[in-house]
Amino acid sequence: MMKKYRITVNGNTYEVEVEELTGEVERPSYAPTPQPLATPSAPTAPRPATTAPQPKSQAAKPAEAPGAVTSPMPGTILDVKVKEGDEVKKGQVLMILEAMKMENEIMAPSDGRVKTIYVQKGASVNTGDPLVELS
Amino acid sequence: MKVSELIDDLKRRREKVHLGGGPKRIESQHKKGKMTARERIEYFLDKDSFVETDTFVEHRSTEFDMDKTEVPGEGVVTGYGTVDGRLVYVFAQDFTAMGGSLGEYHAQKICKVMDMALKMGAPLIGLNDSGGARIQEGVDALSGYGSIFYRNTIASGVIPQISAIMGPCAGGAVYSPALTDFVFMVNGTSQIFITGPQVVKAVTGEDVTQEELGGAMTHSSKSGVAHFVASDDKECLDQIRMLLSYLPSNNLEEAPLIDTGDDVNRIAAELDSIIPDNPNKAYDMKDVIRAVVDNGEFMEVMAGYARNIITCYARIGGRSVGIIANQPNFLAGSLDIDASDKAARFVRTCDAFNIPLVNFVDVPGYLPGTNQEYGGIERHGAKLLYAYSEATVPKITVITRKAYGGAYIAMCSRHLGADAVFAWPTAEIAVMGPDGAANIVFKKEIEESENPAETRQQKIEEYREKFANPYKAAARGYIDDVIEPRYTRQYIAQSLEMLRSKRETRPAKKHGNMPV
Repeated sequence: MMKKYRITVNGNTYEVEVEELTGEVERPSYAPTPQPLATPSAPTAPRPATTAPQPKSQAAKPAEAPGAVTSPMPGTILDVKVKEGDEVKKGQVLMILEAMKMENEIMAPSDGRVKTIYVQKGASVNTGDPLVELS
Repeated sequence: MKVSELIDDLKRRREKVHLGGGPKRIESQHKKGKMTARERIEYFLDKDSFVETDTFVEHRSTEFDMDKTEVPGEGVVTGYGTVDGRLVYVFAQDFTAMGGSLGEYHAQKICKVMDMALKMGAPLIGLNDSGGARIQEGVDALSGYGSIFYRNTIASGVIPQISAIMGPCAGGAVYSPALTDFVFMVNGTSQIFITGPQVVKAVTGEDVTQEELGGAMTHSSKSGVAHFVASDDKECLDQIRMLLSYLPSNNLEEAPLIDTGDDVNRIAAELDSIIPDNPNKAYDMKDVIRAVVDNGEFMEVMAGYARNIITCYARIGGRSVGIIANQPNFLAGSLDIDASDKAARFVRTCDAFNIPLVNFVDVPGYLPGTNQEYGGIERHGAKLLYAYSEATVPKITVITRKAYGGAYIAMCSRHLGADAVFAWPTAEIAVMGPDGAANIVFKKEIEESENPAETRQQKIEEYREKFANPYKAAARGYIDDVIEPRYTRQYIAQSLEMLRSKRETRPAKKHGNMPV
């Protein structure tokens, strides 16, 4: 497609014809023709030879049984107040978790019997770690 | 026709619209434990105050036999009335009329009351009970949703917008409630989800019930989508009336002043013994709030979500206040993603509607861990700092105990523009806890000591004595005064009085760019 321009430089007027040499873009006649912005070519970063390391698959966590009591935050077990086999009532304190400058009481979410205790006094735990399983 | 006949004809027409989907469907609605749209409006508004708009609006759809389908009232009842004598606009979707499905004219009826609410500066309350888009109307139904979302956004921060979910609310319908200031849900009869259980099952293979996926309990405890939960329709509508009493009608007014009969000079002696002697023991921050506010009454917002922070409305000296408080009883009161998000939203709601902020601080810090980092605690935590800094309403902060590090700054500290900051003598305002600080500051001494454990303990005590108190911050003027807990109510009430004339302006801009 030819385009005509009139350009004036220092009082002299020139008529200039400009032809775009790149391939014609197919488009409907009524569509506007957006011009691509002149962009500096992106520097090509050296590609790492190997593919990115795959994250290790998560270690299988103990199944989240309905009776599982998990740690609400990272901290240290200060005290374990129950033994395996104990009958507990809803709201009874099972252990004390020292976390965030506080002795947090870990309470039984429901009535039940202590099936398994996963942690000992002094253990460090993370958010979501199983502490006790009730049956 | 004679005039009397014309009038009779009008009465018949009106009666027909009032019956909605007819007696059978009304009965079925009742059997589900739900009220009808008209019953809800009737119950919600002051007696005989309802004025209906667009009673006789009809759809104009012809596809899929719609030309032969009558939808009385277009499946939604709209209008205005009063709550405690104050003007409000309301729409209630009528599930009995074509499942309350939203078509072009259903949406237009809603848009009309939205426009009126905005023009008159009155709250808009939407009672949602709809099967979703009226598929027969195709893109016109989508256009209807879009028009509502647009108006929700334009009206945001101008008039309070309240949504009650009193039935299903699925797909596109969820976004209008989500755009409004408050979402109420009725336990057992309401659900909100983008896609229902069947689609979830088909796409992800998960087996989940409607209630588990989008019931009131899910949204009030897990997702944080719902702010309030009620056990039935009536309780839900009562709660909305209650909430309205704490809110102004629009962003240029103040919430109504109500004589609560509680003396602002009442001394709350119980506060002197509320903090345990051992700083590592928890207590219930709600006891503090109860002791301070008028008649011990407060209305909690998002009570079941991010319970490590409490957000509630209450009155002090009859004036509505928004309270934000750390809850040592849950996650040690630490700030995490959900708590920051919850509190930031609450702060902005209060600021938009000229409700002063009262903050009770007992915060050990931001919750550490991979969950929090991967979840983006920085950008979510930043919301809270942004919201407090941006707020120009009166900001009053009371530090009851711990106020450590970044979390101290975030909880409406002097540095973020608090107007009045008080600390109890139990306050510990420091850059970090004694244990952590001693390990860093006295690292060398501890390492070089003959008995590191003993030295460490000694240094922790040294640090605690020197820094874990309010007086370092008081010495800099970061807090205005250290006060006896029992006088807290008086100090707050007096500050609110002093701050009534507060004016603070910000640079003109289109809008800030909160890290949403």
